[in-house]
This record gives sequence, C-alpha cells and structure tokens, in this order.
Amino acid sequence: MLPRIFTTFLSETGDIARFAGRFFKEAFKPRYEFAEFLRQCFFIGYKSLPLVAITAFIMGLVITIQSRPTLVEFGAEAWLPKMVSVSLVREIAPVITALICAGKIGSGIGAELGSMKVTEQIDAMEVSGTNPFKYLVATRIMAATLTIPILAVLADSVSLYGGYLGANIRGVVSWDLYWNQVFDTLAFSDVIPSIIKTFFFGFAIGTIGCYKGYNSNKGTEGVGRSANSAVVISSLLVFVLDLLAVQIIDLLSLT
Amino acid sequence: MIAKTEIVESTKQSLDVPVIQLKSVSKSFGNNSVLRDFTFDLKKGENVVVLGKSGSGKSVLIKCIIGLIKPDTGTINVLGKNIPELSNEELDRIRAKVGFLFQSNALYDSMSVRENLEFPLRRHKAKMTKPQIDELVVEALTNVGLAHTIDMRTSELSGGMKKRIALARTLILKPEIILYDEPTTGLDPITGKEISKLMRELAKTYNTSSIIISHDLNCVKIVADSIVMLIEGKCYAQAKYEELERSTDKKIQEFFI
Repeated sequence: MLPRIFTTFLSETGDIARFAGRFFKEAFKPRYEFAEFLRQCFFIGYKSLPLVAITAFIMGLVITIQSRPTLVEFGAEAWLPKMVSVSLVREIAPVITALICAGKIGSGIGAELGSMKVTEQIDAMEVSGTNPFKYLVATRIMAATLTIPILAVLADSVSLYGGYLGANIRGVVSWDLYWNQVFDTLAFSDVIPSIIKTFFFGFAIGTIGCYKGYNSNKGTEGVGRSANSAVVISSLLVFVLDLLAVQIIDLLSLT
Repeated sequence: MIAKTEIVESTKQSLDVPVIQLKSVSKSFGNNSVLRDFTFDLKKGENVVVLGKSGSGKSVLIKCIIGLIKPDTGTINVLGKNIPELSNEELDRIRAKVGFLFQSNALYDSMSVRENLEFPLRRHKAKMTKPQIDELVVEALTNVGLAHTIDMRTSELSGGMKKRIALARTLILKPEIILYDEPTTGLDPITGKEISKLMRELAKTYNTSSIIISHDLNCVKIVADSIVMLIEGKCYAQAKYEELERSTDKKIQEFFI
C-alpha cells in the first residue's frame, strides 16, 4: 500500500496535468476572448512591473556589492561586471521575477477565481452562454505565459543597471566600460535559454493559480487556502523547472 | 423590437403545454441520493415553488434543469429539448431562453452594473448594436426600479439592490422560463416582500413561467401558483398553498407550522 500523502500527490499532479491539457484543447479554438486576454495582460504584466523593477534593481545592487570583496581579494575586481552580468541574466533576474509573480499573480488568480467559484459567478457565466474555462482560465494562463518573459527581460536590464551603481559605490567603473564588459561577456546562449525558461515559469504560475482557484471549495476558507497553495506550489514549481532547465541547457552544451 | 416579437410569439403557445418536463430524474453524490425518480411538469405561464428541507436537493434540481449538473438517470425536457443530451452549443441556445437567479446573486465583482447586464447580451445576442444594448440595459434596470445605479460598482450596492440587479440581469434576455434559487434568502422581511412582489409583476410583464426554490413562506404565498413538496428526493405532493396548509400529512405540516 502506498502512503496516503503519496497517492494524494499523484492524484493532484494528474489533475493539474489534465487541467493543463484542457487549456491546450480549449484555448486555441474559437471563440477567442481577446479583450479579456488584453485585460489580463494589463493586470498581470503592467501592474506587476513596478514591483519586479524595484526588486530587480535591489538584487543587482546587492549582488554586486556582495561579490566585490571576494573578487578584490583575488585581484579580480575588473571581472566584476562580467561575473555579475552572467549571474543576473542567466539565473537571478528570471527566477526572482518568477517568484515575485508567483506571489503576486498566483495568489491573485487563485483568490479571484476561488471567490468567483464560491459565489457562483462561474456558474452564472456558464448560464450566460460563456465557456468560463476559456474566458477565465485560458486568458489568464496565456497572459501569464506571455507577460512574465517580458517582465524578466525588463528585470535583466534594471538589475544590470543596479549592478552598475553597485560597482560604483566602492570603486569606479565608467558607464562605457561597465556596459562594454557586460555585452562582451553575455552571449546569446546566456540570454535566450534564460528567456525561454521564463515562458515555462509563466505557464506554471498561470496554470497553478487558475487550477487552485477554479477548483476551490469549502466557502471563504477554501478561497484563502486556494490562494495560499497557489503561491506555495507555483514557487516550488519555479525552482523545479529551473533545475530542469539548467540540466537541459547543460546537456545541450549551451553553457 | 426583437424582444417584443419574442413575447408575442411565446403567448401564442398553448398554456397547457409543459415548458419543462422532468421524468424519473435521479441524482446521487457518492452514497447520498439527492433526487430519486423525480417527475414533474411546469406548464406555460405557471409559477411553481419547490419547497423542501435544506440539503433536500432543491438547488440540485434547478441546476440539473439548466444543465449545470448532469442527472444520473431520467430525462429533462426544457422547451422540447432533452438537456442531458445537448451539445454545449445547443445548451447555450436553450440557456438564452432560460433565466437563472442565483442564491448569492452571482454578480461579477470586477464589473459595473452596466457591464453585468451587458454581459449576457454580448454573449447571446452578438449582432446587437451598442444603442440597442444600452436601451435594453436601461429598460431592465427601470423595471426593477434601479436605473440610477447603472454606473455603480456592484460592491457599492445593498443586499436588496444586488438582488434586484441580479433579477434585471436574469430578465434582460427576455427569457421564457426563470429559475429562482432562494430569491429572498438573506434579505429582511420588508425587502423580501418587495422582491417577491417584483417577481410576480415581472412574471406578468414578461409572460414567463418559473420555478422558485424558497423556504420563505411569505414569498411562497405571493409568487406561487402551486407548490411542489420535495421530500426524500421525490415529488411528494403538488397543490395550491391553501390546500397544503390544510393538509393533515405530518411531513407536509412540518413546513407550515
């Protein structure tokens, strides 16, 4: 006999996979909910922009300040822009963006759909001749999948700018020298895989948020639980996907 | 106007023709058998209240009629179509003729009153122009006495106002049948009475047939042409309010004490 926790995990994983499968089945068939998709892009993308930008800026600044003493010890201070740019673009900016979005968007979608479910708004939508899965779920998953990579690119730029300021707190690195070193170091094999993985992060965050909210029950308590588990599972999934992405990139010798 | 034509057409139908026919409908959730061989007819122009204890399957019954829940067995004919056998597209066409007032009102929080009312119109009557939609929205709101709330958010409305707006949204497609799920629950007795009277008036204005789920005997007295007693998953009795009130059957008496 398998332990109960294990069977619950397998059952939940199966349900999420079926939910994701339903997205692919329904999202690309007419009728297309384009207006709602744009509205979700605004909420998910534009409204998350300040939070992502501030976090990315601070991360860039902090990573540079903390890396500097070690490099100075080895007499490699000149490598600071190179080291910081690779770690920010490859790993830190995409993952931090995804985690911020898992917290903000994942919980928002989970709570919104959860409260719609328990107040019968989803049923009302169905009665009004609307496929609630297409209108509520497909649009949100698509918006999360497409806007999180854009936010990640923005986070890359802002964090690199933070890195420039960080490098100038204790030392002196000119604007031109910093950016020349950054662009000399970064190759397409650093930038493209890191952007590609953010599409998967976005898809995972959107899917988990929608799955938890859409299947919410047990009244208002269930709504809170949906929002909470959406954040926990999607954050965990971001790390799992990141690990897989690193392995795949390594196998393809892109590093 | 489209709406008026629809009403005139619908009045031509014989009053004896059932608009809803349920035959031997059963529904279970796990071991809990909610509906057992439930059989019932709703005739054109009739307003029937379904009375039963909490958890007796009243809401499940009307959700089966609108196709939100699939029955395990039995047939549910609504306007001549067997609901469990319909495709999603066919179901949508039937749903345009059947209004549903949810117990919780189910108004969309993210939308204004105007957008809430426009939503079913944009879905079911895609060819309507903006002025036509505006006209119908104002008409529906005027009928429930809340034309001034058109640009308000639903969060700014009181419980009674939300119920009226939900009623306006239900009526905006000029349905032939309306299903009410506990329309006066959570309202004070005065507002409850106002809503009940409004339902009665609107049934006459729009010439609708309706099934009303309710525990509120004051509401039942006002709106019911007849009452169906849903006991142990079956249609235990169907009669007028006064007849059931005089009944000596203990199971029926429980509801009128």
